[in-house]
Amino acid sequence: MNSLRNDLIISVPGLLLLGFGFLIPVTGILVLGLRDAEGGWTAVHLLRFLTDPFYLGIAWRTVKLSLVITAICIVTGVPLAYIMARGSPRLRLWLIICITLPLMTSVVVRTFGWMVILGRGGVIPDLMNKIGLVNRNYTLMHTETAIVAGMVQVLFPFMVLSILGVVLRIDQRLEEAARVMGCSFLEALRLVILPLAIPGIIAGSLLVFTLSASYFITPSLLGGARLPVLAGSIYESATRTMEWHFAAAQSIILLLGVLVLLIPYARLSRRSHG
Amino acid sequence: MVEAVPSPIRAAAGLYLAAILLFVLGPLIVVCGVSFTAGDYVTFPPQGLSLRWYEAILSSSSYTGAALISLKLAVAVMVGATIIGASAAIVLHRGRLPATSAISALFLAPLVLPTIIFALGLLTFWSATIGQTSLWALWVGHTVVAVPYVIRTTLAVLSTSDKYLEEAARTMGAGPWRAIRHVVVPQAMPGIAAGAFFAFNISFDEAILSLFLRSPEITTLPIQIYTQLEFSPDPSIAAVSTLMIALTILLIFVIDRVLGIQTVAG
Repeated sequence: MNSLRNDLIISVPGLLLLGFGFLIPVTGILVLGLRDAEGGWTAVHLLRFLTDPFYLGIAWRTVKLSLVITAICIVTGVPLAYIMARGSPRLRLWLIICITLPLMTSVVVRTFGWMVILGRGGVIPDLMNKIGLVNRNYTLMHTETAIVAGMVQVLFPFMVLSILGVVLRIDQRLEEAARVMGCSFLEALRLVILPLAIPGIIAGSLLVFTLSASYFITPSLLGGARLPVLAGSIYESATRTMEWHFAAAQSIILLLGVLVLLIPYARLSRRSHG
Repeated sequence: MVEAVPSPIRAAAGLYLAAILLFVLGPLIVVCGVSFTAGDYVTFPPQGLSLRWYEAILSSSSYTGAALISLKLAVAVMVGATIIGASAAIVLHRGRLPATSAISALFLAPLVLPTIIFALGLLTFWSATIGQTSLWALWVGHTVVAVPYVIRTTLAVLSTSDKYLEEAARTMGAGPWRAIRHVVVPQAMPGIAAGAFFAFNISFDEAILSLFLRSPEITTLPIQIYTQLEFSPDPSIAAVSTLMIALTILLIFVIDRVLGIQTVAG
């Protein structure tokens, strides 16, 4: 078939790039985590991670922070998505631009902003010092609070946009019917909008959770060396201690954790789009 | 008559929006503020106003050198990702190839796979096969990450366009390549252009792949900033960051002009 051949020719450069530049390297790294120095199969690198309390602590911190970040994104994201859905298209456009701006700026730039705000003598410690809560040398840097703040800022749009997509499709007459039947505004939100928005909330949560588990620049700059997370630990093993097998094994663990959540996400979003 | 939205709730919603915007945009505003300081230290609000830190970065070869590398790389990634992404989108839209859904999954996989795993994989693969990482390694990494965005914006336009136009062109005697060049590509142009600007922005701001693949000759702007942040941040970082934020804002407005930011975000 002539047209089939043309389609194939057009897609060849992309397939080559993705094959050699993505598929082989990623497969390679997953295999590397299961290899020993002589090239045989081994689980020793995985076991090293899974039996060392230090690394289990890192895994636990990653999960804990991701849960906190996801929860904050839900609580703050639902009202914003509702306001955006019911506001004018103009307001919606401006809000989308504002919340995606941090996402589009470089991670190092926005993290630097947080360092200025949270560091010693920064905006927030300074304010807390002025109202007498803390002493002059107080800093919020190198705390889990700092990591959470920096991550919520950038992961928040994923939550808002996935809830927005669902809320925009809710028939406004359902809300009106609830009001006519005697619901107050807030009751209508709780009894009509919230239950119907659940698929969006779940999809957004899975996305935010997996993304927050795999970021490492913000946690390593804001949390510092004493608060390592899984992705940061992969970076340390790969570039500082040069233990590539161990870095690869940690990547396998990260990927398994992410896949467990991403598969239901893919199912969910296919259902809501299809 | 019930009030559509009770006024206390209206007021609360206004306050809430203000708080959200402060939280989301605050760090960027602070960075801009710091960049205009006349003082020697990173402080907000700035001490006095001056452009001295902008002069400092423009006369610093480490910043201008890094900016040049980032710019070269971003343009190369934009060209590569646009060509590859747009052709992939056209083929995926037609859906005639066997295993179209598998191909589509492969092209979009970099969106969901944690970038750190891809970065580590590319580093080990490159070292094992080619050796020392170079600008080419970064180009491969950034292009792979940018292609899905071009595919998404192009598909968004193609899915709403009239597919009989191409058939009409073919019936009128245009060859398959001519039909693509004169009918399909112009139809998809808003999507392709928006994708191109996305690709530029992604590469220009990217830090994870650049950190893993870094070597002294390929210090991009984000890496230069990262290194400074780890040691001693001074207001020159704020000046560079402000210029990068300005560029991003410009690109967002351009993308909104050519395609509509809502199409991309939705």
